[in-house]
Amino acid sequence: MLLAFGFTNLALLGWLAAAAVPVVIHLWNRRQYREMAWAAMEYLLAAVRQSRRRMRFEQWLLLLVRVAIVVVVVAAVAEPYVERSGLLLGPTGPRTHRVIVLDGSFSMAYTHEDTSRFDQAKALARQIVEASPQGDAFSLVLMAAPARAVVGTPALEPAEFLQELGSLAQPHATADLPATLALVKQVLDAARAEQPGLEHREVYFLTDLGRCGWAPEGDAQTAEVGRQMARALGDEAAVAIVDLGQPGRENSAVVSLASGTTMPTVAEPVHVQVGLKHFGHQARKAQTVELLVDGQRVAQKQVDLPVGSGVSVGFTHRFDTPGEHLIEARLADDHLTIDNHRWLALTVKPAIEVLCVDGRPSGKARDGAAGYLAVALAPESDSAGPRRVQVDVAPEAALLERNLDHYDCLFLCDVAQLTKAEARVLENYVRAGGGLVVFLGPQVKTARYNRTLGGSDGLLPAKLGRVLIKKEPGIDPKEYRHPIVAPFRGRERAGLLNTPIDKYVQLDVPADSTSQVVLATPRGDPLIVERSFGRGRVVLVATSADTSWTPMPMWPSYVPIVQEMLAFAAGGRLARKNVLVGQPIDSVVPRSVAGTTGRLTLPDGRTEPLPILAGDDLPRWQFTDTLQSGPYTARFGEGKGVRHHLGEAPSGPFRQMVPGTFSLGDPEVQILAVNVDPAESNLAKLSQQELRDEIWPGVAFDYQTTWHEPTAPEAVPVTRRGSLARGFLYLLLGLLLSETFLAWRFGHHTN
Amino acid sequence: MAVDDYQKYLDPKILAQLEGLQLRARRIVEGYVSGLHRSPFHGFSIEFAEHREYAPGDDLRYLDWKVFGRTDKYYLKQFEEETNLVCYLLLDTSQSMDYRSADAPMSKLDYARCLAAALSYLVLQQQDSVSLATFDNQVRALVRPSGNPSHLEQLLYVMDQATAERKTASGAIFHELAERFTRRGVVVVLSDLFDNVETMMAGLKHFRHRRHDVILLHVLDPAEVEFPFRRTTLFRGLESMPNVLVEPRALRKAYLREMDRFTHELRKGCRMHQMDYVPMRTDQSVAAALSSYLATRKQQPHSTQS
Repeated sequence: MLLAFGFTNLALLGWLAAAAVPVVIHLWNRRQYREMAWAAMEYLLAAVRQSRRRMRFEQWLLLLVRVAIVVVVVAAVAEPYVERSGLLLGPTGPRTHRVIVLDGSFSMAYTHEDTSRFDQAKALARQIVEASPQGDAFSLVLMAAPARAVVGTPALEPAEFLQELGSLAQPHATADLPATLALVKQVLDAARAEQPGLEHREVYFLTDLGRCGWAPEGDAQTAEVGRQMARALGDEAAVAIVDLGQPGRENSAVVSLASGTTMPTVAEPVHVQVGLKHFGHQARKAQTVELLVDGQRVAQKQVDLPVGSGVSVGFTHRFDTPGEHLIEARLADDHLTIDNHRWLALTVKPAIEVLCVDGRPSGKARDGAAGYLAVALAPESDSAGPRRVQVDVAPEAALLERNLDHYDCLFLCDVAQLTKAEARVLENYVRAGGGLVVFLGPQVKTARYNRTLGGSDGLLPAKLGRVLIKKEPGIDPKEYRHPIVAPFRGRERAGLLNTPIDKYVQLDVPADSTSQVVLATPRGDPLIVERSFGRGRVVLVATSADTSWTPMPMWPSYVPIVQEMLAFAAGGRLARKNVLVGQPIDSVVPRSVAGTTGRLTLPDGRTEPLPILAGDDLPRWQFTDTLQSGPYTARFGEGKGVRHHLGEAPSGPFRQMVPGTFSLGDPEVQILAVNVDPAESNLAKLSQQELRDEIWPGVAFDYQTTWHEPTAPEAVPVTRRGSLARGFLYLLLGLLLSETFLAWRFGHHTN
Repeated sequence: MAVDDYQKYLDPKILAQLEGLQLRARRIVEGYVSGLHRSPFHGFSIEFAEHREYAPGDDLRYLDWKVFGRTDKYYLKQFEEETNLVCYLLLDTSQSMDYRSADAPMSKLDYARCLAAALSYLVLQQQDSVSLATFDNQVRALVRPSGNPSHLEQLLYVMDQATAERKTASGAIFHELAERFTRRGVVVVLSDLFDNVETMMAGLKHFRHRRHDVILLHVLDPAEVEFPFRRTTLFRGLESMPNVLVEPRALRKAYLREMDRFTHELRKGCRMHQMDYVPMRTDQSVAAALSSYLATRKQQPHSTQS
């Protein structure tokens, strides 16, 4: 039984023996009679016969009341309380709204003796619900990023609540405490408005008190806001924190997985870098790191994991077939397995398709405005073997004539002006994830550019000004901060800094824009500016792609910088394919499957319908419930356009998908990878003292811990007491008044 | 000794202190009762005294027809008042009569003795005869009627010797005595009457059948009337009644109700058979109680005169 009564001063209950006093007095009174001869006995006997039952009842009643008075006095002095051997905070009485906050951070998956902290938390939540009296209502909030109200509207039926609780899977998220507090407040406010009968409010945090979630490194202002919210919550409701965490735990994790290229092709091997880290106090020797591609193990290495610092392990893999591929880095299982895996979703292409729009087509190779650029984009085009970059050079009419979705990146070279239709095509193209690099030149009509492509919602990252002549030598690399120029850091011989530029268009970057300056003149005039637009990226170069304004095309820095611009501009798509848990995943789909409903296979094998949304002329889908890490596979138009490829059927998300069966332009299957935030892998936790002193000073809450009994949540010694002394005193008063009345009433026969 | 001084000895408490029934009886009667002008007991006379002119309402039986024939006037015959009254005193000496509560000055038996002595004294003073019978479940002593003043001593002696030891069975006794009392007279019963009312009334009715005048002097202890006890008490039954341990406070109402029912039945029976019912409490002044009753009786048309 979860509900129990108890007494603070148990020893005082010995005085209960005093309850015998009224009985003894009664018996003693009966023995202390006087004797008397009586003549009118006949009438006395008749009276006795008449009154015997009534007298016996009165005697017993009075005796009972007197015994009860002694019992209640002793019980009240012994400080009675009602104890719920669950986690319930309050005394019984008014209906209570209990909000149970489950820590959804993946450190809750830490398993000890076959029980994870999350399972333990669920068991405790169940215990709370089952121990609650009828009429109480329950809400369930997941403390994750983003915070989620699993049961927002207070559930009055425990069965419904428990069903929701039971079906809740361990999220792989991090904990967002401020958002959770705000959500809890929202839930409480809504419940107060909808069900005013719920007078009492209790909030239970079932958490491992991970430092990452409870004390994130951030600005002091955010922390203060969090404290204020916690204080407000403490004022409004009874707050209990149940600590399920174990201090000083060891954990190894795959903290990063990245490919060396943003646009992998079958033409060249992909270099994959795996970051590993051990959080704890004891270094791990000879840990095996495996690399799996599309579910097949392709490589493994042994590494030593020192304490505190990360280790990076490199792998190289060549994709034989183009299409959607998934790379997984895997570390041997430990107590927390979620962060021992990391995934990287890649779209491998036969080649990177680039369209160069030449503003001054000449008809000859390596001539015109895009001549040098085409060579720089595919410098190996003369060599044998597969080409990494496939460059098409076309006049500006191609913008409307060709299907731009086919290309990964567009280069505009000295295109004089763009019509509105062309501008819209370009916008849609970039918004869908394409890359756009705009080179200027003598033909460019800056005013028209500004009008059709400029503005705050336009494609161009900067406003075009007048043409300037560069006088001073040298280039400001802006500390090589930008990815486009970052490879030049420490490579002075590449000649970036002394790249000669004669003329350039003055670029005016609005102060409030998201545009970033990649390179600038020593005067500060931007030379290369980029910005993200929709899913794609736009790079604007202030000078020409050919030699009309600059001898740069013949300079050694030209090829690398063009390649980097290509990688950066075309890399927008890849960035959207790999996100962290809790972030929404989305993608555009070809218009051919618009209006259909796809299916999304989640990492745990479940499938969800995936409606395709039509917005901004781009069919796309979105999925927000990414609380599980792993690959998310979206399928559209089953069978349509899929060229089956004979091969070994892999396991995992590829169960129904043969790798490499999709060519460019057939993205009926899309794979996206969702990974955990490596910060949560650090199992450092807060102590009760730290929580009280640093995180929530001044917040009224009750701290309870269960971690020393992880395998028996049923036997959790977490109890709360509600004093009953006042009730007992009222009862005593009632009994005293009753005794007085009864004694008067029964003795009234003499008057 | 002034009358006032006698008055104070009439208090039962004082009387109880006085030894000897004769003294008590004399004090009671001399101190109070003897001051009465007329005897309350009207006897039957046979010796002619004088004539009196008839007045409407007079009993025609006593009309002197001879005088009417002679004088043509109505004269009534008046007789010499002669002591031909016999007063039968029936004194209950059953065990219950021995009861005396803490506050009572004397037991019921003593009180009844006082009453009997006083009545004997009074009747003998009037030259009438007194007979005495003591009884419990049978007649214990029977003193034949006599009008001799020295008879009083015998009466008092018999009263004094009576002890309260046995159960009452008054019904049979009354029947027996009714058969034995051949002369009409006044039967005075001095008892607490704790007996079966029905059989008792049947016996008393027998007296009435014999044309005796019957007076019930119902002697009760004040405790029996008021039941004032508070502490748990073991009441020991007299006259073979069982003992009972009770909480008197809780019982008082029911007991008083029973007592009331009992006295009510007695009154009712007495009224039906034209007997006098006189409740007496042992804490009352004997003389006051007696004189009060006698005064009342004098004002009543007496049944025995009819």
